[in-house]
Amino acid sequence: MSAAIVGIGATEFSKDSGRSELQLAAEAVRAALADAGLSPSDVDGLVTFAMDANAEIAVAREVGIPSLTFFSRIAYGGGAACATVQQAAMAVATGAAEVVVCYRALNERSGHRFGQVSVAAATAPTSSGVDNGWHYPMGLGTPAATVAMAARRYMHEFGATSADFGRVAVADRRHAATNPNAWFYGRPITLDDHQASRWIAEPLRLLDCCQESDGAVAIVVTSLERARDLAQRPAVVRAAAQGSGPDQYVMTSYYRDDLTGLPEMGVVGRQLWRQAGMGPSDVDVAVLYDHFTPYVLMQLEELGFCERGAAKDFIADGAIELGGRLPVNPHGGQLGEAYIHGMNGIAEAVRQVRGTAVNQVAGAAHVLVTAGTGVPTSGLILAPG
Amino acid sequence: MSRILEETDRLKALGWCGERVARDPVNQPMINNWVEAMGDTHPAYREGLAPPAMVQVWTMRGLHPAPQPDDPLHAMSAVLDEAGFTSVVATNCEQTYHRALKVGELLTVRSRLSDVVGPKKTSLGVGWFVTTESTWFSGEEPVATMLFRILKYQPRPQAAAASPITPVVSRDTAFFWEGTAAGQLRIQRCEACGRLRHPPGPMCPACGATSMGFVVSEGAGTVYSYVVHHHPPVPGKRLPFVVALVELPEGVRVLGEFLGESVEIGRPVRCTFVRVGGFHLPAWEAAA
Amino acid sequence: MTTLPPLSIEVTPTLIVSTALATRDFQDVHHDRDAAVARGSKDIFLNILTTTGLVQRYVTDWAGPSAVVRSISLRLGVPCYAGETLTFTGRVVSESVIEVVGTNSLGAHVTAEVTLA
Ligand SMILES: [Zn+2]
Repeated sequence: MSAAIVGIGATEFSKDSGRSELQLAAEAVRAALADAGLSPSDVDGLVTFAMDANAEIAVAREVGIPSLTFFSRIAYGGGAACATVQQAAMAVATGAAEVVVCYRALNERSGHRFGQVSVAAATAPTSSGVDNGWHYPMGLGTPAATVAMAARRYMHEFGATSADFGRVAVADRRHAATNPNAWFYGRPITLDDHQASRWIAEPLRLLDCCQESDGAVAIVVTSLERARDLAQRPAVVRAAAQGSGPDQYVMTSYYRDDLTGLPEMGVVGRQLWRQAGMGPSDVDVAVLYDHFTPYVLMQLEELGFCERGAAKDFIADGAIELGGRLPVNPHGGQLGEAYIHGMNGIAEAVRQVRGTAVNQVAGAAHVLVTAGTGVPTSGLILAPG
Repeated sequence: MSRILEETDRLKALGWCGERVARDPVNQPMINNWVEAMGDTHPAYREGLAPPAMVQVWTMRGLHPAPQPDDPLHAMSAVLDEAGFTSVVATNCEQTYHRALKVGELLTVRSRLSDVVGPKKTSLGVGWFVTTESTWFSGEEPVATMLFRILKYQPRPQAAAASPITPVVSRDTAFFWEGTAAGQLRIQRCEACGRLRHPPGPMCPACGATSMGFVVSEGAGTVYSYVVHHHPPVPGKRLPFVVALVELPEGVRVLGEFLGESVEIGRPVRCTFVRVGGFHLPAWEAAA
Repeated sequence: MTTLPPLSIEVTPTLIVSTALATRDFQDVHHDRDAAVARGSKDIFLNILTTTGLVQRYVTDWAGPSAVVRSISLRLGVPCYAGETLTFTGRVVSESVIEVVGTNSLGAHVTAEVTLA
């Protein structure tokens, strides 16, 4: 890869942005360009999520991007996050575009809430609609419930407990407590708080579930060559990959032999290690997608940080907290900072590489980022340029 | 509450009141309209005999109903509305027909308040059951009576119940839902290599064949995993409820609501079917 | 125990409207979908006079034209909205009494006792 992230931008993270998703997108894109020291007329590519409600042409109009030679969208919800950067890097590498902005804007709390049952998803006249027909009508129709099914089996096979899931939430909230941009700034939780929180979909409690947020994030990608002349220290894309696994479904891959892993993340991980020429022990900071805590444990196993079933032991002594063996989500993750579909995690990885994060991990040379779990997904390894 | 009881006593004391004369005598054109709409092919209704269940039709108040202050149900409803019991649902209707009615008879109806019972806790909310009686006369002869009961209730604040979700059916999956409608749990079987598969699809992932049949499962399996759903509300479900992923001896897993009391991984279950929106969905109950 | 053959009726908007008008019931919830939804219903729904008429038809279809209906007693349950299939089943509970249940996807719409002379 010869691409780098040269700009990051975001709106504030809130529960009610008070403006349209299009405005949020346009503000984040402008902020990212300003961070990079680029202007709208430098941009010739845009990439977003299939789920994003703002057309590339609408964002281009608002921001004043005169023309586009590349525009693309990635499917499968939050699994798209790191893949937007991969698309941008590939466009830059092939010459399809020179400066590509990846964006995601959503009023997920004040507008369309993903945590509710989506009748539209359940009734779509598509192969996905047919897939959902095996689950939604039976009452399994929220993201939390779909994760809970895998989490229950994981607990059964490996003896993990609700408290083990809770340790992920405690780490995220500890990190968010010292991040002024986090929704839960100044509000850490204890494991007792987690254990006292109400059931959402047993075995998941309220504090196992990420928050719902309004906000937007944008990421500017260009060639490493051009990056050298820009305002910020480049975050080099050392590896970028997508992955889908055997018998893959969206959130309901229940018909595989094993329910306790995330094979699609394994597909991503193997590519990342190969492309970057490194392994899990070389990672200094990990930004792991954390919409629901159990999947953080499974990611640690699937990516090779520990043996299968051993994540509960791996995290037991604070290993994923600041100062631990593998600091995870120093910004507070989606449980603590905001739920911007994983894009805020990429921005945090860039700050860690630049050395400018509020909860900076000293000498962060390799930062791993992952995207949505339970769905076809993606990942990145970033390094200082 | 005392106001409700006072009005009940006043209206009951009035006895039979609210007399109303039918707009038209019993007549063949209106009978014809009625039997056509109902799909009733009874031969006598084409030859001057009125369908018994049509008795109330003759004295309906029509498109522009005149105010009828002495109608006991109307008066009682007004008082209950004032007391906050603003919603209404009919619960019972009992009609007795003393004799058949023929074309040409002109009917009159009179009503009385027979009972007001409450406040009662119901599944809809707290309310009062109001019962009225009506009698139809042909001339001076009583020809039919009706007891009619409504519940006037205070609606509980709750989200409007959304419609339950039904599956999207494709050419590849129609056989499954035809099976559940017939009480069968059908598992797709590749006609070429015999591989069983659920959920089904159009092409065998093992051999590439597109000729698909099915076997009918015994419907007995064990719980492989489960979820107890507490939040948020799910259309058509009462919280909390359990969804179970069940492993069948045929080697496939099938997901459905678990209808039993206590659930755990490994528990033996049996397939049953629940009707939702015209579909029969597979569900699980504890095996004996 | 004698049971009646089941009868399924597709409850189309046309059925609801034509029966409402044939029973001279002009309440908007039986013919105006927007008004029905505004009042908290999912759609237009059958009126009680029609439910009574359909129960009577179900029994006399089975009993034949010589049967005389003496009384129909209904207990009303869930509404029957447009788009539902209303399925009647029945059983003879005594010499002259037939119990009828009409169900749709929401549950029991009507439970009735019909007495024949
Ligand atoms: Zn085959």
